[in-house]
Amino acid sequence: MEELMLQLKKEIIEVLNLEDVTPEDIADDAPLFGEGLGLDSIDALELIVLMEKNYGIKLENPSQGKEIFKSVRTMAEYIQANRK
Amino acid sequence: MAIYIKGMGNISIQDTLGKNFIDAPVSYSEPYIRCIEPNFKDFINPLQLRRMSRIIKRAIASSLTAVEQSGIAVPEAIISGTGLGCIEDTEKFLSAMIENEEKFLQPTYFIQSTHNTISSQIAIYLKCHSYNNTYTHRGVSFEMALWDAYLLLLSGQIKSALVGGYDELTPTYFQQLKKLGFWRDSVQDSLNIVNTPGIGTFSGEGSLSFMFADNAENALARLDGMSLGYKLNNDEDVCRFITQFLEEHHLTPQDIDLFMTGKSGDEVYDGLYDNVSKMLFPQTLQAVYKNLSGEFFTASAFGLWSATSCIKNNEVPECQKINNIPTKPLSKVLLYNQYQNKNHSLILLSSCGC
Amino acid sequence: MAQNVFVTGLGIITGIGKNVEETLNALKNLHSGVGAISHLKTVHDHLPCSEVPFSDQELKKMLQLNDQEIVTRTSLLGIKAAQEAYNFAQMDNCKKLGLRIGFINGTTVGGMEKSEQFYNDFINPDSNEYTPYIAAHDCGACTEKIADYLDDFDFVSTTSTACSSAVNTLILATNMIRAGLLDCVIAGGTECLSKFHLNGFNTLMILDQHLCRPFDETRAGLNLGEGAAYLVLENEKSLALRKQNPLCQISGWGNSCDAFHQTASSPDGKGAVLSMQAALSMSGLQPEEIDYINAHGTGTSNNDESEGNAVMQVFGSHIPPISSTKSYTGHTTSAAGSVEAVISILAMNYRFLPPNLNFKNKMEQLSFKPVEQLTENVEMNYVLNNSFGFGGNNSSIIFSKYKK
Repeated sequence: MEELMLQLKKEIIEVLNLEDVTPEDIADDAPLFGEGLGLDSIDALELIVLMEKNYGIKLENPSQGKEIFKSVRTMAEYIQANRK
Repeated sequence: MAIYIKGMGNISIQDTLGKNFIDAPVSYSEPYIRCIEPNFKDFINPLQLRRMSRIIKRAIASSLTAVEQSGIAVPEAIISGTGLGCIEDTEKFLSAMIENEEKFLQPTYFIQSTHNTISSQIAIYLKCHSYNNTYTHRGVSFEMALWDAYLLLLSGQIKSALVGGYDELTPTYFQQLKKLGFWRDSVQDSLNIVNTPGIGTFSGEGSLSFMFADNAENALARLDGMSLGYKLNNDEDVCRFITQFLEEHHLTPQDIDLFMTGKSGDEVYDGLYDNVSKMLFPQTLQAVYKNLSGEFFTASAFGLWSATSCIKNNEVPECQKINNIPTKPLSKVLLYNQYQNKNHSLILLSSCGC
Repeated sequence: MAQNVFVTGLGIITGIGKNVEETLNALKNLHSGVGAISHLKTVHDHLPCSEVPFSDQELKKMLQLNDQEIVTRTSLLGIKAAQEAYNFAQMDNCKKLGLRIGFINGTTVGGMEKSEQFYNDFINPDSNEYTPYIAAHDCGACTEKIADYLDDFDFVSTTSTACSSAVNTLILATNMIRAGLLDCVIAGGTECLSKFHLNGFNTLMILDQHLCRPFDETRAGLNLGEGAAYLVLENEKSLALRKQNPLCQISGWGNSCDAFHQTASSPDGKGAVLSMQAALSMSGLQPEEIDYINAHGTGTSNNDESEGNAVMQVFGSHIPPISSTKSYTGHTTSAAGSVEAVISILAMNYRFLPPNLNFKNKMEQLSFKPVEQLTENVEMNYVLNNSFGFGGNNSSIIFSKYKK
């Protein structure tokens, strides 16, 4: 789980181009959207692509992302539960 | 009826941002040249910066520079011209789509592929809800944007407009245009390119923003008029196009103190500039600018910047002069640019003193 | 005194018809062009689209173009519709009469549908098999191909503001005619389907896998379409010289920027409010004088909420009949503004309200429902047409019935 979360943080930084952010800056339970990293709806779409490309998990509806992308921990949990 | 240039911002292959004059022109010895970029963090906050493609960062930086110089914080129109639009992100999306067979595509690249992203990002940055438009018409894309602004200002519908010419060139697109004969295989001394004609020229890029307004207060120069010509077939047509334009402004070629053209060293198209210059402006000081800017679809915006700079400083840099007629006080400058002998544009500038 | 601007010709090709007559019949017979993809080769062929049901070869044949000629599909659709508009208004006499004519085109992906097929050749420095298509790719090239097919135009230009491009061509044309710079202008937009566009919209997850349902509570996105449409606009002098009968007039336009987000519209529809209000104000009209609104109405959750809120702010308790005709034609992106302008003018002149197909459930946030059924014998004096693009490019235009 810890490993997966670290991996996810690195991937998020890369795909969202968060130049000045390091994995240590992102707390496992910190909100990714709104407060916290301040991501928006386009970032959510980018994360959906990340989930499909790197973990083979396809979200059909962007509104599913709301729960899954709450924090790095919720993302990791979802991936563990659904990874094929 | 005239409009006024209040501020300029220029990111080019020369050191031009925040300056109104080129003090140390750089000569290049290869045909593919990219812009000299500022540190964008000086202009744009990091959260917004992270998603912007290169052309958008440049457009915002040059726009903010023009805004600052003009003292007009929020223009009443934002109008951009771009020949190719945001090709870097278009290519990223296109090549990923082909390689991954339409899977795993990133939305950001698609969003930033459309030409109007530039104008709209500037609007978001300046919080400007007014008129917003984008023109993309080959080598006269910038002139089309300027034309729209000119009409809106003259008709009194707006009092100010931020007008820009924005084009980037990726290595891949450079190669594609090379197949069409745009570029030379090699270049020795780009500043001297018009004196060493060959097929094609060298490429440049640019992000040029101008703030125009309807009043003369603190203006850098006055734009007295412009004209666009389509499918003028020969030298005579072009001469007629120019003389008619001058007549409309009650001028003759002798009234022009500087004739500045888009001559680029490409012998396929330079002949037209040479013939027209000979026929109409034998006794007029003539200058070029594409030896400084390189060729790109909105290079004429660099021409406007350069002409304004000459007027403001009452001086034409030696590296731009192509004849030896002594410089008179620069009160009237005529800019002429053409694209593939098909699209033609004229812009008449005056010093604000007259 | 600004000159009046008259509309004297129409031309259109979309999934519901290859000309004005077929389009009118499809509108009245509730025939939608949205269905399974058949021409475009894509892995996403489960997504419904509204294709023009002719291959490039068939279009070339219709236009008597050589099969070998380098023409992008965007230009082919453009030529077909622009030629119809040109003939409709009998523009062939313009140059002889010394009138100044213009062609203003809106497009965004230009020749992309060909470029995406030939891209590997484009970027291979050792191959020149498809090099002429490089020169045909950019938007300006697509425009000039159409213009040069038709006539010797004095002025040719291209706007590109994504899905509002075509309305912006009408705005420039109107401004140039009012300023006395052109006498007769063809303006409108063209866009063909491409994998690039389909995949692009798909990454935004705003494509409905079923038929789109604009302004419906259960709406789930848009269906893409392709097509082209043009209007002929002219001034009084040209009208008199050429003895043309106007179909209607342009009374005003609005152009604003939402300046909210790169793709999303603001929830309150600020940009849309500004563009509609500007169009009303330029026309000298009160909101209650508008008899029909042809909405942008894409069917995405965000657009319809934003546009609906904007309509409520501008029109208050007097919301005129409103419908989105994208459930007929799909979203024809850069052509949408002129496709829907043609539909609006047909509606006004043939006195019917085109319904918002597939609508069932009223949106909770909105006070109004769109037009549910074809309604005939409706007298209309003013119709408003909205087109909104990515990046918050909002444009509105008002057509008024021609009165002698």
